[in-house]
Amino acid sequence: MRLLTTLLLFSSLLFSYQKGDVVSQDIQDKLSIKENKIYIIDFFASWCASCKKEMPYLSKINDTIDKEKIEIIGIDVDEDIKKGQSFQKELRATNTLNFKVINDPKSEIIKAFNPVGMPALFFIKNDKVASSILGAKDDIDKIILHELKGLE
Amino acid sequence: MKIFMLMMTLFLLGGCTFKDVKSWEKGTLAKENMKEGAGNTLFKKFSSHIYFSKEASKGGGGVAGGGCGCN
Repeated sequence: MRLLTTLLLFSSLLFSYQKGDVVSQDIQDKLSIKENKIYIIDFFASWCASCKKEMPYLSKINDTIDKEKIEIIGIDVDEDIKKGQSFQKELRATNTLNFKVINDPKSEIIKAFNPVGMPALFFIKNDKVASSILGAKDDIDKIILHELKGLE
Repeated sequence: MKIFMLMMTLFLLGGCTFKDVKSWEKGTLAKENMKEGAGNTLFKKFSSHIYFSKEASKGGGGVAGGGCGCN
């Protein structure tokens, strides 16, 4: 009974990608993931104010990284694809979004990762989840660069 | 009778099933009309006045960070 209660409480954590988990082939195909490359997967939505705040930092990092080795992929989880696209357009117009974005209106990709909060950043290396940053953080650019240093 | 009571209890417990709102499903919660006063400043002031008068406390009517479950 105790085990069942614990399992129920942590069920959301059990069925989400944790550090060291292999990303399924289906998700790899959807993200066009290649081996020997580090991927930063950023889940965002138009209604998530903190995600919007993080965008300029991620775009700035995207300007400085070696794109042969590292790639940033944004996943827009807006259910209304038109809303998501206009949000992306608005960000691109202000030069705060300069990386590839995949729309995930049916939440197929994010369901696999199952983050407990947004914004959610996942680092993928050699088809495995290397680390993750969940929730709004101060100095996110420094945290990301620190994580990348550890992975390179 | 006992079986009937048991059936009724199980039926009522069925209404207590919980479904946690996932982080990516919080778009509706982040909408302006989900906030206190639903965007109407006069109504917000009025309802917060009632809340303050009854509870002797203020605030807590909004969600930080766009309601996305952030820190």
